[in-house]
Amino acid sequence: MTPATLESAAEPTPPCATPMDWRALPARGARLAAIGPAVTCGLLTMLVLGGAFLATRWPGLWIAPLGGIVAAVAGARIGVVRHRRVRWRLDEDGLAVRRGRWWQTETRVPVSRVQHVDLRRGPLERALDLATLVVHTAGVKLAAVSLAGLDSTDAELLRDRLARRQPVDDDAL
Amino acid sequence: MNPAEGERRLHPGSWLFVLLQQLKQFIVPLLVLVFAGRGDRNSLWPLIGVGVLVVTSMLQYLTYRYRIGADGVTIRSGWLHRSVREIPFARLHNVALHQSLLHRLFGVAEVRLESAGGVRPEAQMRVLKLEEALALEDLVRHRGGEAAARSDAAEAPDAVLLSLPAAEVVRLGLVSNRGMVVVAAALTVVSQAMPDALLGDTLRSVAAHIFGYAGALHGGSPASLVAALGLVVAVLVVLRLLSVALAWVQYHGFRLSEARQRLTVERGLLTRSRSSTPRRRIQAWTLRETALQRWLGRRSLAIDTAASPFAQERGTMKELAPIATPQACDALIQHLLPQAQWPRPTWRPLSPSAAWRLALPGATVSLLATGLACAWWGSAWGLLALLWLPWTWFASRRHACRAGYDLDERLVAVREGWWSRHWRFAELDKLQALRLSRSPLDQRCGTATLWLDTAGADAFAPPLRIRFLPLAEAQALYARLGHLLAVRALRW
Repeated sequence: MTPATLESAAEPTPPCATPMDWRALPARGARLAAIGPAVTCGLLTMLVLGGAFLATRWPGLWIAPLGGIVAAVAGARIGVVRHRRVRWRLDEDGLAVRRGRWWQTETRVPVSRVQHVDLRRGPLERALDLATLVVHTAGVKLAAVSLAGLDSTDAELLRDRLARRQPVDDDAL
Repeated sequence: MNPAEGERRLHPGSWLFVLLQQLKQFIVPLLVLVFAGRGDRNSLWPLIGVGVLVVTSMLQYLTYRYRIGADGVTIRSGWLHRSVREIPFARLHNVALHQSLLHRLFGVAEVRLESAGGVRPEAQMRVLKLEEALALEDLVRHRGGEAAARSDAAEAPDAVLLSLPAAEVVRLGLVSNRGMVVVAAALTVVSQAMPDALLGDTLRSVAAHIFGYAGALHGGSPASLVAALGLVVAVLVVLRLLSVALAWVQYHGFRLSEARQRLTVERGLLTRSRSSTPRRRIQAWTLRETALQRWLGRRSLAIDTAASPFAQERGTMKELAPIATPQACDALIQHLLPQAQWPRPTWRPLSPSAAWRLALPGATVSLLATGLACAWWGSAWGLLALLWLPWTWFASRRHACRAGYDLDERLVAVREGWWSRHWRFAELDKLQALRLSRSPLDQRCGTATLWLDTAGADAFAPPLRIRFLPLAEAQALYARLGHLLAVRALRW
């Protein structure tokens, strides 16, 4: 019964080839995904090293920015690898997102449990024609499942399909 | 229609209670002002601060109006920034009535109306005259949800599901650590407020006094050992007595009742509080049994509601049975979840690797402690910390044997713990999202953890998750639940 409801809900053929496949994020977003971890790792390492050198009054304070740069490069690498590992899939039951290699997670938001959907586009994402999708549920730990670096067209498709809910009884929300 | 028609104000004295509340919030800045301004010519600042608070609370009283309509409550408030808020009765998940000692003195009460989600309640009426508060509470309890459809049952009196006699309240105090928490909080405050040296001196002089007394009696170390033991025992006894006293204050007259599919909990000796929630708004359940509770033959039953998960201490319904016999807890669950089978006759076991993996945290701590102790004192006495290992091993074995989960068409339940046990369960319809996660260790052992998220889950309650599941089983369960949730409409 459910496949029918959702398929009938999506009148035009979806722009993505087959919505049943696990799909990766567009590769052009990898650099964007690298910025966050690079900045965090770099700054943190620099602060910790700088603080340690200042507190112990050891010579060689120049190591701090150098360590920061090394850590930033490592952080960027981590960001790129993590970005490459993300897979998402939209099927008749809802949205599923897979992440990680060492710590793998697969999160599933059933379409009937979607409260609302946000689509965010920062200036950098707009320049690359990307978008961030945030799916909100009524849960606590998984109150917001976000998927950054989606292709804009895919993101809009996801938003439309997830936000369109079957009519539910009045007191559901 | 004139919008002002049928509008009511709060109790005329309500600005006083708002002011008290604000004073409580701003007590630190005010104290800073008082102490910083001492000896200065700006000693008027605190007075000005209080004056501003008085004016704002008066304004709040003067601008706050509410109207009770057919389907909900309308609240208008604000002077420069005005707001109108419509709260339909059908959306309310929880109604709470709160009466502190001061409220009781003035014959008033505070009413909170809470809907799902959000940190703050939908409406917080501080304060109403007691009769008006009771009338409003009664109205919400009757109009909320299915009450209208069941007019025949409207005359049914409240059925008391559980009440705590004095002996039970004393037991509750004995098994709880309330006294410890209060003392710890008090010590923290004291240590913050007092200079360190002074606190240290005080403690030292107290200790010296006690040990000096013991030394004067007999002299020598056995006496001081006895004194130390006596001190420990005395502290423990005092802490438990404090716990009992606190439980008495908080849970005196505890009563869980049901009327028209609606649960009501009332309790309190000095501060009375009563909150009520429709039965179907319960999101998840936690049944707990600590070792102390087990020795007394008791358990406790708590629920999550979607109403303000962060404001539970403010009276949102939480504890259905603070303390009750296992049979009473089971009967309560059977009564409130009639379609679900409880207690479960069988539990599905976890992966065999659970036994040693449950021991990992304890073993790590034990080894670390051994290493640190040996390095610090440089003697073999640190090896004593290794004694923790067999206990950890034993406890995790028992834990792994007991832990399990079960699932049927209505309910998913997880059982964990051995020394301190808990059962956590929720109706399938109340699940919101799923997550399957695998750590590197999970990948080596071919297992996975399944997280099931519900609305309003308490941060302090054990999570609803199934650990150490064999991978194939976890994936099958994940797929099945994912499909089941998608076809079932959300009911909360």
